[in-house]
Amino acid sequence: MEVTYKVYRKDPEKDGKPGRANYAVDLLEGATVLDGLLKIRDEMDSSLAFRASCLRGNCGDCMVRINGGSRLTCVARVSAFTQKGPEISLDPLRNVPVIKDLVFDWDAFMWNKIKAIKPWLEAQEASSNGENIIPDAELKEVRKVMSCYHCGMCDEGCTVLPVDFHFLGPAALTKAYRFVFDPRDKETKERFKTLEGPKGIWDCVHCYEADEHCPRNLEPTKRIVALRDRAFQLGITNEKVARHHNSFAASVKESGWLDEGRLAVESEGLTNISGLMKLLPIAAKALMKGKAPIPYMHSKRPDADKIKKIFEKAEREEK
Amino acid sequence: MQEFDVLVIGGGAAGLRAAIAAKRAGASVALITKAHPLRTNSGLAQGGINAPLGKDDSPESFAADILAAGDGLCDRSVVQALAQDAVKEVVWLERMGVPFNRDGEGRIDRRSFGSNSRRRSCYTDDRTGFLVLQVLHEQFQRQGIPSFEEWFVTSLAVDAGACVGVTALGLRSGKLDGFAARAVVLATGGFTRMYLPSTVSIGTTGDGQALAFLAGARLLDMEMVQFHPTVFPKRQSLLVTEATLSEGAEIVNQKGEVIEKSKGMPRAQLCLSIAQASGNGDGGAFLDLKPIGKEKLLSRFPQTHELLRSVAGLDATKDLIPIHPVAHRPMGGIETNASGETSVPGLFAVGECACNGLNGAGRLAGNTLTEAVVFGRKVGEAAAAHVKSTASRNFPTSKLADEEKRFAAATGADSSSDTLGKVHAALGQLMNEKVGLTRDASGLEAALDGIKKLQDRYQKIRVRNPSRIFNYELTTYLEVGSMLTLAENVALCAHARTESRGAHRRTDFPDSDNNNWRNHTIVKRVQNSPQVEKKPVAS
Repeated sequence: MEVTYKVYRKDPEKDGKPGRANYAVDLLEGATVLDGLLKIRDEMDSSLAFRASCLRGNCGDCMVRINGGSRLTCVARVSAFTQKGPEISLDPLRNVPVIKDLVFDWDAFMWNKIKAIKPWLEAQEASSNGENIIPDAELKEVRKVMSCYHCGMCDEGCTVLPVDFHFLGPAALTKAYRFVFDPRDKETKERFKTLEGPKGIWDCVHCYEADEHCPRNLEPTKRIVALRDRAFQLGITNEKVARHHNSFAASVKESGWLDEGRLAVESEGLTNISGLMKLLPIAAKALMKGKAPIPYMHSKRPDADKIKKIFEKAEREEK
Repeated sequence: MQEFDVLVIGGGAAGLRAAIAAKRAGASVALITKAHPLRTNSGLAQGGINAPLGKDDSPESFAADILAAGDGLCDRSVVQALAQDAVKEVVWLERMGVPFNRDGEGRIDRRSFGSNSRRRSCYTDDRTGFLVLQVLHEQFQRQGIPSFEEWFVTSLAVDAGACVGVTALGLRSGKLDGFAARAVVLATGGFTRMYLPSTVSIGTTGDGQALAFLAGARLLDMEMVQFHPTVFPKRQSLLVTEATLSEGAEIVNQKGEVIEKSKGMPRAQLCLSIAQASGNGDGGAFLDLKPIGKEKLLSRFPQTHELLRSVAGLDATKDLIPIHPVAHRPMGGIETNASGETSVPGLFAVGECACNGLNGAGRLAGNTLTEAVVFGRKVGEAAAAHVKSTASRNFPTSKLADEEKRFAAATGADSSSDTLGKVHAALGQLMNEKVGLTRDASGLEAALDGIKKLQDRYQKIRVRNPSRIFNYELTTYLEVGSMLTLAENVALCAHARTESRGAHRRTDFPDSDNNNWRNHTIVKRVQNSPQVEKKPVAS
């Protein structure tokens, strides 16, 4: 079968502007997209740059976008992408600095962010010469997230990274989960100094795109939510998003519904004068339209006591 | 020019372990690796990592199994060293964070694997290599060791007979640079990409062995190439871990009838009987994973299930998996002692690129990772010790200019239709057909003739892309050159060994010849030509 590959090109040694080149490749039935790329490089255009390593969908190195969707070229069958016609388009992942053609900057995109979370176990002192005795159930989730092969699809799907490239992103935070929830690591509290900081766990908007994208079903968003829960358990609550959570819950618990005024000021922080000052123009506008919710002047909804009991029961169960 | 005490080349399990050990021994260390460590071939090991942890097990029993698999070519002292240290290293890996599957008491569980006589392969589902690699990479980062990733080593620098560093090309910068060191540790992995199909990653091209050979080091037992029995052999060869066999899977014919009681059989024998079944017109051999039981299959072999689905389009819980033996890992490599020292002072080698006498004529299933970490540590420490006892030497000033000249000569317009890919494809087919699972004199002579012709074709090919930035044509050029150099040595040694032993099966010499061949083959470069000799096995 003959297939036209429409490949994104960029040459850092020329003008560095992105373009596209077309190659008509003759391929055997069952060929992978990588087979075609290798053939192009070998026989048609030896300057074409793309990565590949394991050749069986197991390492993540050859991740690109095929017809717009992120895929590993080594396991993607050409025939699966040519049903509408004998051509496929190949592009680097979105929101990633491209170095040359399909070779993009993994360091900036993912590896440096993983490095930033100190991706190594700080082992507990050994109590004996042998291995740690741990029930298998306590390691199951750690084992599962460690099957992440760093393909970057979660980061590619993330909706925060396009607006803030410095967000640690789901791949690095999933790696952090691996340490925070490993019973052998002694640095949990220390780790949260990075994780709760700017660009960390609180910047996730839990849109669940990462979970949709992860080819191994590792649920990165769920891992980030678990890290937040852990932060609360450790008493790390003095952060805007954490205060927002706490204020939201406290308000509903006390009155049965949301005290929006209280939520606004408590999220900013009662001692955060400059933050509170920023709320003033909004409050003034709302006041003029007769919609200003006065903090703490909030009436209980009917049967609020029942709602409070639900909270208390949940709190007891959590303990 | 950069300078370090110890340079480790290759970011797989053995290289990372060596780098960590050398750093902890006080040396300044850097890693140079053409692939990111987490993308290396070590990550593809599935079944397990051997350690005699069981109450019914011992280093002695472990050593006896290694010696049996090695079929008379193992160096006993090296085998004992591995058997003694395996538990210590596996426990270290566990303490550093490998989430090994646990038994009912919360201890590291072990599975039966290949011809191990005890349950001693510690595992993390069917991703053991990848998780061990990850933890090694974590601890490597913890040591703050400089890591030159996507840097391709192009030559070893030798001064007064000693290795004093390397030249390497940064794929991203496009810059050729010199790295001076008092000890260079090659941990570049195997060479089985010279076979097509093979079970290895695209970069497993024997770069380190070829560099060492060209720098004057000797290669040992190069004819010993292990084939893996249970590989889905289509366009992408997909290895299904042999551990499935010990968990209940069967080798069957098309009708689903068991054709081989496979449990505990050595790999070489298993490969032969599967190849035989493929040849007898009965529709070939298949792996039946159903006897494992769906639940256990999904929980213990999730990756196998996933890859069979995505790569082969097969459902492991229902379908029979077509299998065929495929070239897997070499036992042979750069000749070293147990400390990784090669015949070139200052040059060390460890892991799959090395041959220290551990594996002999056949590697015990589950020993690749054990070898990488046990000897990775020993060799890293030995390299650091070497640094303390060695005066600094000069990195030859002309070295970089020589390499630039070599690349310039290899680069240029090429109007012929011959390509590196075509040469590699022809080599892969030739090695598989003539230097494969079974061999004979006339086939090996045809192979040597064919390899010579491919070397001639290679000499005429020019690198057309003049750029240095992510120039994969240039790196492929260097890799294909390495494979052609080594392929000739594999065929020469296979031709020299006129007997059958371990992985080396000669149809014209079907029996072992203990009178003449309790010997290693050694190949070294004499006046630009490889020369094969015998070396007695250390008793």
